[in-house]
Amino acid sequence: MICPRCAHDTVDTVTTSPVPGVWDVLQCVRCLYMWRTTEPDRRTRREAYPVEFRMTPADIETAPEVPVVPPLLVG
Amino acid sequence: MPYDDLRSFLDTLDKESQLLRITEQVLPEPDLAAAANAAGRIGEGAPALYFDNVKGFTDARIAMNVHGSWRNHALALGLPPDTSVREQVEELARRWDAFPVVPERREDAPWRENTQLGPDIDLFKVLPLFRLNDGDGGFYLDKAAVVSRDPRDPDHFGKQNVGTYRIEVIGRDRLAFQPVPMHDVAQHLHAAEESGEDLPIAITLGNDPVITIVAGMPMGYDQSEYEMAGALRGAPAPIATAPLTGFDVPWGSEVVIEGVVESRKRQIEGPFGEFTGHYSGGRRMPTIRVDRVSYRTDPIFESLYLGMPWTEVDYLVGPNTCVPLLKQLRAEFPEVQAVNAMYTHGLAVIVSTKKRYGGFAKAVGMRAMTTPHGLGYVTQVIVVDEDVDPFDLPQVMWAMSAKVNPQDDVIIVPNLSVMALAPAADTSGITSKMIIDATTPVAPDDRGHFDTPVRDLPETPEWTERLRALIAAR
Repeated sequence: MICPRCAHDTVDTVTTSPVPGVWDVLQCVRCLYMWRTTEPDRRTRREAYPVEFRMTPADIETAPEVPVVPPLLVG
Repeated sequence: MPYDDLRSFLDTLDKESQLLRITEQVLPEPDLAAAANAAGRIGEGAPALYFDNVKGFTDARIAMNVHGSWRNHALALGLPPDTSVREQVEELARRWDAFPVVPERREDAPWRENTQLGPDIDLFKVLPLFRLNDGDGGFYLDKAAVVSRDPRDPDHFGKQNVGTYRIEVIGRDRLAFQPVPMHDVAQHLHAAEESGEDLPIAITLGNDPVITIVAGMPMGYDQSEYEMAGALRGAPAPIATAPLTGFDVPWGSEVVIEGVVESRKRQIEGPFGEFTGHYSGGRRMPTIRVDRVSYRTDPIFESLYLGMPWTEVDYLVGPNTCVPLLKQLRAEFPEVQAVNAMYTHGLAVIVSTKKRYGGFAKAVGMRAMTTPHGLGYVTQVIVVDEDVDPFDLPQVMWAMSAKVNPQDDVIIVPNLSVMALAPAADTSGITSKMIIDATTPVAPDDRGHFDTPVRDLPETPEWTERLRALIAAR
């Protein structure tokens, strides 16, 4: 299993369905993308994940800060 | 009759046939969002949706589209369901004048029934979380009332803010959220981060329908949303003390989440299909550590679908954006007759006004851009004459087509502020803004040939009422 969005190979199971065995909720540890295993392929499978929503490590690291962290007040 | 919690309002919607219970089993994705998306496409009378049979869950209760039609918006305010949009805005403006109404503190909040603390916190055990749009980065809390205080003046009741912000669930006890710099919570966070301190926060879900309306209302920084809720309800707003933060939170909430915004930290968040009808990109946003969750037994998870307008959020923030702009414009310019700021939270605004002298309408347009809400929104203002109803778009288009000489009546001002989500801005947060003066020029601005307008016949108002009565009696 790799992240559909950033292709990272470490994915955590965040929760499982209250009715056992129906679905899991997974999360990429790098880009934090979260998905349920019963969602359509366009949200869960790397090969079907839309290009416009994919992320690279550079996208994550250089994403704009909103809001910008202010300077620390001195004294 | 004011509603003290979400459940009593859902009961009224049910009685008015404005709540649709979907009993057959649905998938959490894509069914929940798709159904709410569809509700926004079926017309002005769309009902709220209630789901309690969602695949994989044992006890999910999900309410969507609660404010998602003019009928539901009217009922939330205790008005007849067929109240027109303009009448709803005028009634809100009338009730506004009762502000402030001191809230009523109660100690027996139903969300005290259940608690999660520290390592036992698991938001997934309390809420049936789900995704809305395809490109969303995850599951969102998008209809909360978020409470925070000014760290420089924590005892000032009015500076305590109640606002709605998008919140992504990024872990069992972790959230990321978006404080747009123009919004009050961003000022609170700025002050806390300047001192290197965490900002305590309370996130309340499933609130009474008027708290949700005021949480999305552009109010003054030191004006209390609870005191405004009392004015709009016609009765004091019931509040209670949140156990961890000590903040004032709605008495009737389904769930109260407390924790801190972690100082000076940012983490990747989004994208999210926003109210602009466009995704915001992935951004590094503040994170929240959840320290306590309080919730009613069998909580109802209220969420809203948003995407390409119109969706529920447009009904929710449409009228409540018109009113402060109307009040603020009239404070300086009593000639202003009505304000329609219902398009994308007021990115485009239509103002009708009398003219004091030549050039006056353009001044009204500029003032709209410099109101507190206008600084982050109001990129386009159309100003029309006093006899044009800004809520009647064919009339507005008539004014645009007949009264505007582009060379003289379109003004573009470069490099003004706008909230970062505005998709047309070249540099995020900076945009040009435009005034279209679609009023009739008056002296000494002598232009055009407007001296022989066609007016409604004197008998027309009487006949309008006669026709309405005949139609109602059919």
